[in-house]
Amino acid sequence: MDKVLLIWATKTRIAAHALADVRNESRLKIGVILFFVILLWGGAFVASYEALGFLKSFDPSQSPSGSTIGAIVMVRMLSLFFMMVFLMLVFSNVLIAFSTLYRTEEVDYLMASPVGVCELFTARFAECLFMSSWAVVFLGTPLMLSYGLVNDAPWFFYLSILLFYLPLAVIPACIGAVIAMLIVAISPQIRGRVFAALVVLTVAALLAYLYRTFNIERLSEAELFLAMLDAMKGTQSPLLPSSWAAEGVLNCAGRNFGRSAFYFGLLVSNALMAFVVTLAVVSKLYYRGYSLLKSTGSRRRISGRGILGRLDWVFGFLRPQYRSLIVKDVRLFWRDATQWSQFVIFFGLMAVYVANLRNVPTYRDSLLWRNATAFLNLSSSALILATLTSRFIFPLISLEGRRFWIVGLAPLARSKLVWQKFWLSVGTCICFTLGLVILSSVILRVEPLIMALSIMTIVLMNFALSGMAVGFGAMYPNFKEDNPARIVSGMGGTLNFLVSIIYIAVTIGVQAGLLQFRTYHFFGLLLAGVIAFVITLSAAATFVPLALGMRALNKADF
Amino acid sequence: MITTENLTKQFGQKVAVDGLSLHVDRGEFFSFLGPNGAGKTTTIKMLVGLLAPTSGKALIGTFDVRENHVAAKRLIGYIPDQPFLYEKLTGREFMRFVGGLYEMDDAVVQSRTEDLLELFSVREYGDQLIQDYSHGMRQKLSFSAAFLHDPAVVIVDEPWVGLDPRSIKFVKEYLKQKTRNGLTVFMSTHTLSIAEEISDTIGIINEGRLVTVNTVGGILQQRDSGRFEDVFLELTEEAGSNGG
Repeated sequence: MDKVLLIWATKTRIAAHALADVRNESRLKIGVILFFVILLWGGAFVASYEALGFLKSFDPSQSPSGSTIGAIVMVRMLSLFFMMVFLMLVFSNVLIAFSTLYRTEEVDYLMASPVGVCELFTARFAECLFMSSWAVVFLGTPLMLSYGLVNDAPWFFYLSILLFYLPLAVIPACIGAVIAMLIVAISPQIRGRVFAALVVLTVAALLAYLYRTFNIERLSEAELFLAMLDAMKGTQSPLLPSSWAAEGVLNCAGRNFGRSAFYFGLLVSNALMAFVVTLAVVSKLYYRGYSLLKSTGSRRRISGRGILGRLDWVFGFLRPQYRSLIVKDVRLFWRDATQWSQFVIFFGLMAVYVANLRNVPTYRDSLLWRNATAFLNLSSSALILATLTSRFIFPLISLEGRRFWIVGLAPLARSKLVWQKFWLSVGTCICFTLGLVILSSVILRVEPLIMALSIMTIVLMNFALSGMAVGFGAMYPNFKEDNPARIVSGMGGTLNFLVSIIYIAVTIGVQAGLLQFRTYHFFGLLLAGVIAFVITLSAAATFVPLALGMRALNKADF
Repeated sequence: MITTENLTKQFGQKVAVDGLSLHVDRGEFFSFLGPNGAGKTTTIKMLVGLLAPTSGKALIGTFDVRENHVAAKRLIGYIPDQPFLYEKLTGREFMRFVGGLYEMDDAVVQSRTEDLLELFSVREYGDQLIQDYSHGMRQKLSFSAAFLHDPAVVIVDEPWVGLDPRSIKFVKEYLKQKTRNGLTVFMSTHTLSIAEEISDTIGIINEGRLVTVNTVGGILQQRDSGRFEDVFLELTEEAGSNGG
């Protein structure tokens, strides 16, 4: 246990040094990020507070049991929230456990030190737990705080949220670690594909479940409401740890401290039990899987076979330098299963949603609703696009850092490298996003003006968001890091994402605002003005970051 | 002090190390030579417990690396070719961390840290974050860390990369002097001249199989050619053509 504490203490010191390094970052950058973090949290809090306040205001006489419909919905909502948190934590822990327990140099270092396997696991497990759960704390606190304020909960309720959250997070972390260890120990040869297939299957199963539960085409509005309530009842199953946490917290809010303590005991004892079982699995499987993973023979990849082997031919029309860089980027992306599986999930979810739009008949004939939905879809596509460019395009320049001895010494201007990443991003993302927007416009039968506006906007956004991701990526590179996920989580990545969101909000906001003046005689003039504004804004968002990025990259030392 | 018995490691269909049996005595300087991909690093990884052998076993002292890995590792100081160091720790903080892993007394850690940092010429950088270290300084720090707990066995994989000539000379002399005090050194390297100069025994591995184990003089006597480099090339070429 001493060694576990030593490792934790060292990690804390490392975190402190990393935090101290933030002082060297630009104050403007820190300020912008802090502002938006607070704005995001505050926005979530206001929205939760208003929504829960609305539910609280329902008339008690509507329910035969005496409790208000609003209160019932509120309880079910919280149970659903806890269940979603639980499932999300299981899912993210599988992925995080895989990278934290097996794929870092630190594990190799500790494996060669006189540290027992269980001690090593325990030290790394805490990191998995932290990495998987901090975001949930950030995004969950506005909802829980709102619930407490709306229901006038005692102070102990707020403390209980933290007390219940820790054991609730431990159980999925144990489940995630065990699943990761089983997969690694059983099938190290196909690990990447297995993980990707599991991810896709899980998402597909979840979508099938939601579709069957809320098949809204066959339900009237009242039936839909009851169906939702019925479906949410499952979240209160006494077998689910998430329901113990929900019950415990809710009982605490209602001042039933005895019952709350019972659920806390239930949750803690199960969390401890889960950890003991996990340690038993660790002693049998962890080292075995670790060694198996290191012992996997690599597959031969023969040039000229398969899609990846023929990329040189596919991009044969490009100049050799661009072709080499693009082929290299596509191959690296495709061979990292954790990269493309996220890409598939993002667009898969969006495509399923758009394809299901035709199952919504109630409002389909309303032009207003159809146009509003078209803008909503455009916003969703844009947000997904921003997520993709931030996650996958932003790190591309940084990833060249360690290979700059080859790319940097090639007879190739650094600005060409920036342009190559930009065109790669535009070329790839536009295929998916433009397709989605056209598909949703056709399914919704929106009027030609809205369709034209949507298509113009998404095309411009592809240029602007790619320009920002590549430009910011070149302005704020991290040449020491090889893991794209870590590059993105830095200050530069966060800033890029936030600026992208602002750009999307402004671009869509002005167009949505424009439609309010449909019937006015000056609408044509206004339309031309808005289009000119969106084009100018997009051009600035494309070229300014690119130019600044090129300038920074030309000055950069390696 | 180091014993391997029929040590074998397979990566899929490929046999990386094939039935390796070796014995390195206490106080012996053993150099492990071979062409790229011969199985040197795989052997080292099995010796330090980073890889489980497909069959056979490795002993450090009397401890089986698989069965009693913590006790075995306590005896080892390991310096990999590309050592992992925590970028956001200072050199001294890293040494304290290593001392903790080996359950050393704080006062001992502190005094030995200063001695070793001084010895390896990184003392003045001890309070800087490792992220600011040059490749050579990192290498020197990993040497300091490997010697902190006064190991009985030092396993070192291509230690000369990044070191300046003065440091190379110092490390050579330091390792040699430590073997006189009973330290066992197992070194993998491609620098034949250094291996020839300082080793008591040399083992040559090719395509996973041990080609020969002998003193430098003994190996030179195996061929008419007087140069160690030529003998090495002949032996590995022969073994390659016999194996292939």
